[in-house]
Amino acid sequence: MHSLEPELRALHAEGAIDDATAARALARDGGQVFSVHPELRATLYAGVLMVMSGVGIALARNLERIGPLGIVAAIALLAATCAVPAVRARRAGRESGVAAEYLLLLAALLLSADLAYAERQFSLLGPLWSWHLMLLAVVHAVIAYAFASPLVLAASLTALAGWFGVGGTVGHALHLGYSTPQLGGRALACATAIVAWRYADRRARPGTRFTDVFDHFAANLAFWGAIAWCLEWPWAFAGLPLLGALAYASVRRGLRIGRESFLVYGVVYAAIGLGAAVAPELHGLTTQLGFVLVVVCAAAALLWRLRRRLREPVA
Amino acid sequence: MSRWRPSPTEERWLELTELLGDAVPPEALAERSGDWRSTGLLARSALFVLGFAAAALLLGILRSGDEAALLVAGLVAIFAAEWLTVRRRLFASGIEEGLSVAGCLLVGAWIATRLEPRATVAGASVLMLVLIVAGGAAGLRRLNPFVTTCAAIGLVAWVGSTTAAGAIDGVIGRDLTALLFGSLLAAAALALGAREFRRPSHDRMLDWLVATLPVAAYAQYASWSAFDPSRATGGNDAGRLAAIVLLLALGSVMLWTGLRRRRHAPLWGFLGCLAGLAVELRAAFTLATEPWLILCGLVALIAGVALDHYLRTPHDGLTSASLAQREGPLDLLQTAGAALAARRAGPEAPPTESTFEGGGGKFGGGGASGNF
Repeated sequence: MHSLEPELRALHAEGAIDDATAARALARDGGQVFSVHPELRATLYAGVLMVMSGVGIALARNLERIGPLGIVAAIALLAATCAVPAVRARRAGRESGVAAEYLLLLAALLLSADLAYAERQFSLLGPLWSWHLMLLAVVHAVIAYAFASPLVLAASLTALAGWFGVGGTVGHALHLGYSTPQLGGRALACATAIVAWRYADRRARPGTRFTDVFDHFAANLAFWGAIAWCLEWPWAFAGLPLLGALAYASVRRGLRIGRESFLVYGVVYAAIGLGAAVAPELHGLTTQLGFVLVVVCAAAALLWRLRRRLREPVA
Repeated sequence: MSRWRPSPTEERWLELTELLGDAVPPEALAERSGDWRSTGLLARSALFVLGFAAAALLLGILRSGDEAALLVAGLVAIFAAEWLTVRRRLFASGIEEGLSVAGCLLVGAWIATRLEPRATVAGASVLMLVLIVAGGAAGLRRLNPFVTTCAAIGLVAWVGSTTAAGAIDGVIGRDLTALLFGSLLAAAALALGAREFRRPSHDRMLDWLVATLPVAAYAQYASWSAFDPSRATGGNDAGRLAAIVLLLALGSVMLWTGLRRRRHAPLWGFLGCLAGLAVELRAAFTLATEPWLILCGLVALIAGVALDHYLRTPHDGLTSASLAQREGPLDLLQTAGAALAARRAGPEAPPTESTFEGGGGKFGGGGASGNF
């Protein structure tokens, strides 16, 4: 164990940090205040994943025994039960805790599974089945706004990305087989829709907690779209400038709000796109590898310099 | 004052710079930290990957068909890392760490190629041992907890593959030696953590071992046969009982220590032990997968709800509320995790008889451009 108490006291004595900052830092350093918030979040997330996986397997194995209607009703009931703590917190006018928020996420996910199952069994939307994802996005968004839950908003944005035809996870972006210009266009359209939603949300509710979630989704989807365009000529003629503009915007935003994640997005995605667009056009493996090495070194130097300029808010 | 790494005092001021964020201008602390320069976790991770990739690309460029390319690329990467450290005074910045680790691994691989092919020590692969030693050396040089932990996990796997471990396994049960060795290492790291270290990085290296070794050692012990009901009563009850007792004992010590010392690492180690216990108990009671998953999930959720409710009002300084005011890597992981879970729960494309022409992607696709 180590303690930074002597250094903190020295800074406080010199007047480099104010009383409140010193007291807070000393309390955390000495263990007088200790939060189990990260462990709690991990436990609750594991719980949500396990219940969802168990329900998924149970659905597949017990379909004939229980019957479709019984399954739909049981899952809806379970989802409603999971939402109870969040509903109670809202009615009491207090902020829901981390547990209630994860239970609400479980409720939303169960609802997703229930709707998906009902659609598959009863073909409610027929050939328009993909609108199902839009319906889910809307339902999750309503829940997210009703309970001010960024987690459920993430589920809503994932459904929206699915409706646009983009997976909405990093794995999808790395699956280069899908990285066609068409997919790129969809990802960019989805990112544009999310940015528009973000600005509308910010204008309607200045104190919103959703801005970060919108920003991360929009940034990742936009970069995936631009990189997808960079993979095929002549689309790369549009993809490369777009990638540059996105990288500039991302870095600028990162520096403005003090978030290093946006610096990382801007530099790393730009390096990936540049390497993916140019390297295949060069002749000879050594030249290609040499070019990628130059890009990697330049990206590392740039990221380092930008990170030095970043001023993060106090932890 | 050393040119090769910050002194303990300088490292402590660097830690404080990170801890205080913009509450104190970094320039005010730069002199005390000996002008050593570090970076944040996300940028450090990205720079580590970039450094590692640069070394790998160098190997690709130098490829000449013989093993000397490994040595040359490795030495160039190590030299570049040391140059960044000595001349640019980078510490825990990622780029020099990635270069250094990749360089050491390449040199280790070159040494392994000079040895007898398929050479073994105590019945286990020499190549693996050399790579573990190279990785461990790079981790210790850079005081990087991630790399030293990877080396320790590799060592647990290597020890488990020796003939001595095989002989012990024959007596006490399948793959129990690796679990036992990993648990002992975790317990030793936990005990060492009671000492007061001047260097924060020493603490962090021990913390990572405490947090990850229980679950990593258990993952090497467990196999998917634990989920196969036909093998659940396969006659290794004594081994399973030993594993349960071991995990229970280690988990209890981790929980007690974590709460007493107010440290996160033992609590993560405790959660790892709990995960292992849940898998072992499932095999012991031959429960089908879906009720086991739902049961464990509900237990985790109920425990989480109860703990959150109890600690919403701090008890003896212990709280369930977040103390961080800025977005951290865990927040980013949480958003990504929610998106991943939502994707798994969402609908998939209907069977092939549908007239819908998918727009790509397992998660539906085509809402924007599907042809019907």
